[in-house]
Amino acid sequence: MMNGDFLALLPKNPFGQLSGGKAGEELTLHATTVFAFHCSAGVIMAGDHRATAGNTIFSDKTEKILELDAHSMMAIAGSPAVAFEMARTLQTTFEFYRRSQLQSMSLAAKIRSLSKLLRDNLPATLQGFGAVSPLFAGIETDDPNARPIIQFYDPLGAQFEAANFASSGSGSPTIRSVLHFLEKWGNPRPQDMSLEQAVVLANRLLMTAAEFDAATGGVHPDRRLYSTLKLLTRHGIQSLTVDEHERYWQRAES
Amino acid sequence: MTEEPYRWLEAIQNRREYIQDHLKGATPVFAASRPEGILLLGVGHGQSKIFEIYDRHGIAALGHPVDIEKVRQSAIEAAHLEGFNRSSRDVTLRRLIGFSLSPTLKNSFEQIHSSPLIVESIFAELGDMPAQDVLVRLHHDGNHQYATSGALVAHIDRKLESEALAWLTQTLRPELSLRDTSLVLLTAWRAITQQLSFQGLVPDSEAPPLKEGRRVEAALLDRRSKSSVHYRKIDFPNFPA
Repeated sequence: MMNGDFLALLPKNPFGQLSGGKAGEELTLHATTVFAFHCSAGVIMAGDHRATAGNTIFSDKTEKILELDAHSMMAIAGSPAVAFEMARTLQTTFEFYRRSQLQSMSLAAKIRSLSKLLRDNLPATLQGFGAVSPLFAGIETDDPNARPIIQFYDPLGAQFEAANFASSGSGSPTIRSVLHFLEKWGNPRPQDMSLEQAVVLANRLLMTAAEFDAATGGVHPDRRLYSTLKLLTRHGIQSLTVDEHERYWQRAES
Repeated sequence: MTEEPYRWLEAIQNRREYIQDHLKGATPVFAASRPEGILLLGVGHGQSKIFEIYDRHGIAALGHPVDIEKVRQSAIEAAHLEGFNRSSRDVTLRRLIGFSLSPTLKNSFEQIHSSPLIVESIFAELGDMPAQDVLVRLHHDGNHQYATSGALVAHIDRKLESEALAWLTQTLRPELSLRDTSLVLLTAWRAITQQLSFQGLVPDSEAPPLKEGRRVEAALLDRRSKSSVHYRKIDFPNFPA
């Protein structure tokens, strides 16, 4: 295996089907809210913690922002069985490539890898139980002047670069509207915000989305329940702790 | 001719000599279990000797670069398949070496009509604490020995290897800094390559002068890393004190 392609290795050693959605599966992350936007510190990627099965709240502790490697991450919306498997496949694919080829996979190849998984998932998407509509954020590690980028995908695998922000899931229309407004008339605009301002904005965005979308888990500072949030910079990925969320929130609200 | 047992034994002996001959100019590699992680160290000459295998696994090897590459790729493939199909915690050296690499090396060594894999190596697996670290000395014929924590040396000369290991066991202490630990390992490297006696050997305070083109290569399987990936290369001149 000299080309570093982990997916080519899998069929020789099958363990289970990759596109894992099963007919009749009800648990879904369509009813979810994940988003990403540029701020002065890098790219913020955030989401709620809720997974629903019909009208039932299945879990309020779901981690939807997943690190793929040291310099890329993915926000999942859609069928969790497929989405989590895609993330796990990408994590292994990127690390396998880096270790076997002794160099990191290019950002373009990482973006295409996710696109390919989405396209391979087409049968499940068309049957209506396995669609995934993820967001991706990454940075080219070999280019010292590169800045992080945000990509969004449709469930068939088409990829688009977001100039300033992207969102996915049932609460995404609200998020998109607010971010569009702030990018156009905000002062500061989200892309000019400091990390602290951007974290507070992310939590307020999620609070707003939860007002209009019953399936989006909200932010409840009184219960120390904030968004799941990660920052991508040239130096890697930083996960915000609850203490940091709380400190920033209290300063903004005081 | 190999139908006769004697011929077969002779052929095997010839292969040992062939391998030893190939490894004559090779210099040793080391692994040392430390409170901060497992330090892998060697002196390279153009080709790398220290590699990452998986989240908590690394290899230090000497031998033919092509054969090192074959063993490295096999280990990476087996580890990633196991980690993907089960979990990263299921990737263990006992299974990787015992069921994958060691049989492959043994087969390669005993297939007398094809060229053997010329590799002497140390595999390292980082535990949550030093007592859980696993080091494995894997020989070119698939033979292997485990060590829990401590240190290991890989060299073509078994006698020198065991003398160096005895000296390292006596000299390495947990309170030594990473830099001092690496200097102890480099002292053993110098003693082996210059065929000095280990009796009364004192650790050097500076890295030994190296021939042009040679450089110290080191990596740490870092126990303190919060990431799932614990392996990091260390630039020797900027070694943390």
